[in-house]
Amino acid sequence: MSEAEKESVLIVGGGIAGITAALNVADYGYKAYLLDDTPSIGGLMARLDKTFPTNDCSICIEAPKMYEVKSHENIEIVANADVRKVEAVDGHFKVRVLKRAIFIDEEKCNACGKCVEKCPVTIPDELDARIGGTRKLISVPFPQAVPNMNYVNILCRTGKMRDKGACVGGCVVDCSQCRECGVAMCVKACRDEGKGAVMLWQKDQWLDLKVKSIIVATGVKTAPLEKGTWGLDVYPNVIDYMNFERTMNSGGPTLGEIVRPSDGHHAHKIAWIQCAGRGEKGLNYCSKVCCMVAAKQTIITKEHDPNVECAVFYNNQTCYGKGFDEFYKKASSLGVRYIVGKPFDVTEDPETHNLTIRYEDESTGEIKEEEFEMLVLSTGLVPNERNERLAKVLKIELDHNGFFKEAEPLSKPLETAVPGIYLAGGATGPIDISESVAQATAAGMKAVSKR
Amino acid sequence: MGMSDETEVKKEAAGTGEEEARVGVFVCDCGSNIQGAVRCADVRDFAADLPGVVSAEEGKWICSVDFLNRMKASVQENNLNRVVVACCTPRTHEKLFRKTVAEAGMNPYQLEFVSTREQVSWVHRTNQDVATDKAKDLVKMGVAKARLLEPGEEIRLPVGQKCLIIGGGAAGLTAAAAVASQGYQVYLVEREKELGGLLNKIGTVAPEGDVAAELKATLVDAVKKYDNVTIFTGAKIENIEGYIGNYKVKVSVDGQETEFGADTIIVATGMAEIDCMGQFLYGEDPNVVTQLQLEGMLKDGAVQGKKKNVVFIQCVNSRNEQRGCCTVGCSVSVKNARAIKQADPDANVYVVYRDMITVKEEYVHLKEVMKEGVNFVRYDVEKPPVVQKADGSLAVKVYDVLLGQEVELPADLVVLTTGFCGPEGVSDLRGLLKVSANADNFYQEQHIKLGPLDFAAAGIYLAGSARNPKPMKDVRDEGYGAAMRASIPMTRGFVEAEGIVAKIDHTNCIECGICSKKCPYGAIKLGGEKGKTPQVIEALCKGCGTCAADCPKECIQIVHFTDEQLMAAVDAALEENPEKKVIAFVCHWCAHGAVDIAGVGRMEYPTPVRIVRVMCSARVAQRFVQHALDKGAAGVLVAGCEFPTCHYITGNYECKDRLEKLRKKLDKKGYDTSKVWEVWLSAAMGPKWVATQKEMVKALGLE
Repeated sequence: MSEAEKESVLIVGGGIAGITAALNVADYGYKAYLLDDTPSIGGLMARLDKTFPTNDCSICIEAPKMYEVKSHENIEIVANADVRKVEAVDGHFKVRVLKRAIFIDEEKCNACGKCVEKCPVTIPDELDARIGGTRKLISVPFPQAVPNMNYVNILCRTGKMRDKGACVGGCVVDCSQCRECGVAMCVKACRDEGKGAVMLWQKDQWLDLKVKSIIVATGVKTAPLEKGTWGLDVYPNVIDYMNFERTMNSGGPTLGEIVRPSDGHHAHKIAWIQCAGRGEKGLNYCSKVCCMVAAKQTIITKEHDPNVECAVFYNNQTCYGKGFDEFYKKASSLGVRYIVGKPFDVTEDPETHNLTIRYEDESTGEIKEEEFEMLVLSTGLVPNERNERLAKVLKIELDHNGFFKEAEPLSKPLETAVPGIYLAGGATGPIDISESVAQATAAGMKAVSKR
Repeated sequence: MGMSDETEVKKEAAGTGEEEARVGVFVCDCGSNIQGAVRCADVRDFAADLPGVVSAEEGKWICSVDFLNRMKASVQENNLNRVVVACCTPRTHEKLFRKTVAEAGMNPYQLEFVSTREQVSWVHRTNQDVATDKAKDLVKMGVAKARLLEPGEEIRLPVGQKCLIIGGGAAGLTAAAAVASQGYQVYLVEREKELGGLLNKIGTVAPEGDVAAELKATLVDAVKKYDNVTIFTGAKIENIEGYIGNYKVKVSVDGQETEFGADTIIVATGMAEIDCMGQFLYGEDPNVVTQLQLEGMLKDGAVQGKKKNVVFIQCVNSRNEQRGCCTVGCSVSVKNARAIKQADPDANVYVVYRDMITVKEEYVHLKEVMKEGVNFVRYDVEKPPVVQKADGSLAVKVYDVLLGQEVELPADLVVLTTGFCGPEGVSDLRGLLKVSANADNFYQEQHIKLGPLDFAAAGIYLAGSARNPKPMKDVRDEGYGAAMRASIPMTRGFVEAEGIVAKIDHTNCIECGICSKKCPYGAIKLGGEKGKTPQVIEALCKGCGTCAADCPKECIQIVHFTDEQLMAAVDAALEENPEKKVIAFVCHWCAHGAVDIAGVGRMEYPTPVRIVRVMCSARVAQRFVQHALDKGAAGVLVAGCEFPTCHYITGNYECKDRLEKLRKKLDKKGYDTSKVWEVWLSAAMGPKWVATQKEMVKALGLE
């Protein structure tokens, strides 16, 4: 096939499912557009510490795939972008994509970091704020980001961070009209380096693509909890399981030290509450991965320091995959206490910021109280918030939980009601990495097959 | 046997390696990123005087388009046949520079990468003299290695369009239709007389209760509509030999043998129930049945309205010492309990369970059947249920954890939800395919997370419950996925290896076979007259170097990482003040990732370390470590991927094992083994790399 007639596939979502789908269709010989709504591909997996049930380091196994995507001649990464319009024409889709400006010249930036050094404003990191993570208004999404370049926070560029001390925004001239920024320190730092890669006047871009198929791989995200649920966002030492994952990670804000947000001291006694997001007002489904995530987190905690006491409050031990039950047993054998049942409530000692959990001991029926130094909430997984809009654009259905709906899961797995649009990974519901990879490979097969 | 007739060699570019080395060195300032901490002009001038160097240039950003053009011009003007770049990290920029020199007509494998930013300027920011000296050392090591670099070439092995699919159940049928739809020849081999696998034995499919027979018909029709599918039923695989693009398969049906060639193989052999004989009165009382037997009974209408009291016992032969969760048992029991209850609302249905694993929407089904009156009794693994028989009737006695008391449940039918294993025949098959499986005969995938549908060896793929038990929906997904994996080489028409592969010089070979045994990819076949001569199938080789390091006669070399090249770098590093330096052999993947992260994080650490990059720690032969010690190094560090991760399956384990043996050996020879260090790093472990440097410097008295 010559370059001109090469068929294309659009993959929406650059997490591990999207990456896998892209590599497969690209190796097959199709052109793949891998679109992500953030400035880097990698998704949730890039931010995890380890993967169950082998405790492989997550970024160690994902980063080589990310580099492979970057250097693959058949893959084009479209970062920081949204699908805005899709039209089916003659067995193809005409797709309009909005690529939002990151205010960086992608050809020139190599993430040297000089602009970051000079940026005067530090803000809480979107993912790591609860455990003290911060970033500058101009920064790399994460150290292994692909494409590896900085991006400027849109709030800074639009002048909304002025009251936080941002240098940008007080200028009377509109950036898009001016190419001679004498104000922004990042622009100056980059020019001093001889690069001139920071360009606050960069505009959003519209891209028009013609593709044969579309694979939706928008992933999942950690379920949020209402403020105060189990003390979250009220008591500093209550965090969710993603926060804990980032705490364990050498690349996270605590450099892998398992410390309490309240005082930065190592935690010696930690509790996990499973199904923390389930219930009357919460999720009405099992998120599938949280039991194994907790097993992993307790095992890693014990590896850091065997003397840390770990207790997990759970309902049913969801150890449904290969090597999963063994993994749970490993946690138990390391001395992790598993307690059946959901606690009643959590209170805090305002001086020590320790947390007291009240629960019923199922074997005796007795009500017990126990103090912990840190509490981790396994809140579950929910759909990506952009699913709704994307479903409208693609004219496909969501299920009642907000995940994308497979029209006929058994007879036509991963297909939607629109021929040519397929699903993979967390877009279909809570899922683990290996299942995402299998689905993404399968969706890739469908995307390149005759229909 | 000679691969030349089967292997198409793609010459990427000219360059024979025989000619005299003409090295060009390009030193990057990276703006002020390197230039700030290192005096780059000094490094450039130093490089210009090194043996073999014909040109040395400095650039503000050598990765900029302008400079890349300059580099190309320099290659042509100076007739360069080796290039050394001193800049950031090979993990992000090696491909770019390789491409650039190739465009200028050089062989891309004759480029050497030196990391003066991540390994010097970003981590030694306090003393410009020391940093500059270290940068010079690294460039000297790079040049020494580069002078010896031979040209490499990408190697292709042709792959045709014939696929063998073993197993005609849901996974195999799904894969067969997907492969056949592309026009490729499919050989579908099924052990039973009929296609369909477990779909023949069950009535409905969990969780929604779709009719199994309908699904089977859909799947079989989808395969049978293609003329390019040859189906063997009641068949046995007698033999398989060869490798991707070149398998020879022998199949027998009723004693009649057929032979054919295949290019790829999909293994979809499914699963079988573990025998329950002797447990819970199974085999003794006909009213104790397995879940699969119940499926048959439900299909025949033998339970509905006929058995008043039905008790399911979950986790029989699973979640014990031998094996884990059966994955499907909970949702199947919920489905079948519901079928019984709905057919006869007066029936007493109990599910005796440990944990109800109902993921995603299955949880909704569970809530519904509870509402419909199916009872759930939780038991503790320490107090398992007991099936008793008195006066001809059955009862299940169990301690109900939630009630806190023992209950006795009368039973007209007891259903054992038993675990699964690979079916009969897998033991033979895994031998023929030369792949591994666990104690239950479930196959070992290439990587549990990122390679679920691949085997370690190229050309063989895996789908469905052959890997581990899974719901029908997942089996279907995997059928399509495995079809994709097999279709990629068949569509491209070849598999390709990067030029970094093993080369065997048979002069001293004693045909011991260690290399073939150690190769994790089955890329070294034994052939020749006695069937003992090792031959590298280069297209399958990934270049880890395990064979080269373990060859007792040192007959094997890895392109771009030969003994001579690596030791040239070591010698260059240790030419001056060796007693102040540490040689670190660092694997390209996670360990180098950690080194880079230490750089990105501007984590300051001591300067003695000189890194020699290898693709995998398995490449590090015992003789390398000894050589560095002989040359007077203060210490030697081997850094590989943190266990259990390895980008070459088990390279780091091989290395660790080898180092243990080496220490004993060195100890006997009178070496100070406290100089030999190892560290296993994930790509996020910059801090651990730094801590190791500090510890080493302290322990070795280098402060």
